[in-house]
Amino acid sequence: MARKKASRAATDAAATTAVVMVLYITESGPNSVQAIANIEAICEEHLKDNFRLEIVDVLQYPRRALTDGVVVTPSLAKLSPLPAATVVGNLSDTRAVLRALGIRG
Amino acid sequence: MMLLEPAPSPLAPSGTIAERGFKKAVLRLVKGGPERLAIEAGQIDAIIDPASGHAILLPDAQRALIERKAPNRYASTVLDSLDAAIAVLDQTGVVLAVNPAWRALAINHSGITGVALGSNYLAGCDNAGSDEHVDGMAIAAGIRQVIAGERALFRYDYACGSPAGQRWFTLGVAGAAGHDAASAIVSCEDITERRRGEFLLDLERTVLRCLADADTAAVALKSVIRAVCESQGWNCGRYFFLDQSAGVLRFRESWGIPVAAVEQFLEKSRGLMFHPGAGLAGRVCQSGQPLWTLDGTRASSLSPTVLAPETGEEGAFVFPVSSEDTIFGVLAFSNPIIREPDDRTLQVVRSIGSHLGRFLHRQEVVDALRRSETRFRALTVMTSDWHWEQDRDFRFTQSIEGRPFGNVDIFGMTHWDLPNVVLTDAKWAEHKCRLAARWSFSDFEFAILQPDGQHDYYSVSGEPVYDEAGTFSGYCGTGLDITTRKRAEIALRDSEARLRTLAGLSSD
Repeated sequence: MARKKASRAATDAAATTAVVMVLYITESGPNSVQAIANIEAICEEHLKDNFRLEIVDVLQYPRRALTDGVVVTPSLAKLSPLPAATVVGNLSDTRAVLRALGIRG
Repeated sequence: MMLLEPAPSPLAPSGTIAERGFKKAVLRLVKGGPERLAIEAGQIDAIIDPASGHAILLPDAQRALIERKAPNRYASTVLDSLDAAIAVLDQTGVVLAVNPAWRALAINHSGITGVALGSNYLAGCDNAGSDEHVDGMAIAAGIRQVIAGERALFRYDYACGSPAGQRWFTLGVAGAAGHDAASAIVSCEDITERRRGEFLLDLERTVLRCLADADTAAVALKSVIRAVCESQGWNCGRYFFLDQSAGVLRFRESWGIPVAAVEQFLEKSRGLMFHPGAGLAGRVCQSGQPLWTLDGTRASSLSPTVLAPETGEEGAFVFPVSSEDTIFGVLAFSNPIIREPDDRTLQVVRSIGSHLGRFLHRQEVVDALRRSETRFRALTVMTSDWHWEQDRDFRFTQSIEGRPFGNVDIFGMTHWDLPNVVLTDAKWAEHKCRLAARWSFSDFEFAILQPDGQHDYYSVSGEPVYDEAGTFSGYCGTGLDITTRKRAEIALRDSEARLRTLAGLSSD
């Protein structure tokens, strides 16, 4: 599974550059399901539409994860804006996720 | 994807020794850092093995995946609880799962009904070929259409043999859309009882139609025996009537399949005679209840040797033909094997025996009436020259036996329309009053003047006729040519008159 969410121009003055993320998951895995729910909630609250999220199922695309240096799922990789950052786990620690995304909570 | 062995059971409780060992193995793969912390916190589903590139699922993710991919245990529970036999097929027709009802069915049957778990159902259908009871190719084509999504449902009724005799099934195939492995659900329902019930209902209707179409007892008996044989797949049947005067059952009618052995069997039956209580037929006649032997050797409370001359080595089914508690005879059917009759079958044969009994009783009454009418007609012919019928307007509609009124074409005419009738107006008026009152009349005499100047004399008698609703529909009666007698009477009268004249002259 590789899902993408297209971004729109943000009206929020706090976020002028779109955040590009990849969430590596395992389909049906309980932590992956939770991670998807958590990142969607964070994006809704803090990024509005100013983000692009791609969800990659490593069971279908294991090489993709290795290429991106991901060794466990769920893992969230922020690709841009730099610096890149990775959060491992079910993303239940919202403050850690916001820190990795460069957003002040 | 790779599952790290030993794979934990989906049903094992979390934190078992096996799972703890599994986590240690996983931690060895992830040397440290946030990944290790996340694993220890239980927030990881899978690890990508850098060496092989496989995703290694952690136990909880394994469980979730197994429950989603494999037929879940709720579905299995539901499947197992169904009475209908169910099989789950994959895209190629391989049987992935079956329920206990299917397993029980497969053990007792061959062909498409006997396809077991792991076998290819479509191949079973293809190999079954086609006969009068089942078309394996048509079934396979239907299932393939369902698997391909070209149709949502496929249904097919078929028959197949089993140790207990022929049985009927209805096959239902539904697509399993949205599932990765299963492509079609096949249900097989045993509809034998329902189908037998339909056959019995058809048989009852056929028998009634036979009786409605038959104009003689012989035709009725033969057609009913044939209908029963063809419906039940029996070789032959015979009717023995109860000879009331002698108190014995005698052969009267039969039907059998055109096979030499059956024809010989029926030919030998012609001389058979049973006393009430003797043999199967005699017992049925005495008790008024159906009896049967299953295969010539097994009979409830009956010695096979007693029945040997009656049934040979075959099974037999005998039931009474009766009307209002009066037994007219018995119908005896023979076949190598007779199936134990169920309640519905017994109910239908009793009904057939009753219908046939009523028909035979009615036929006896009609025959007696016909004989009586024949006798009456003979008497009429002896006592009259012709008999006639008139409509409600007193016009002749029929004249039987003889040529009334000297070959006059009387149809459409009344008595008073006849040419050259000689009768006084007063007598005509009196006669017409009698007719208008619908009274019967007898010896109504009149003369008709013939071309040679002679009178011919006739005497007619009549009775009013009413239809079933009680409405007057005309007259019927007889006619006599009394010319000879009349002329003799006239001649005698003339002679007497002359004698009286002569006597008067002489006395003077």
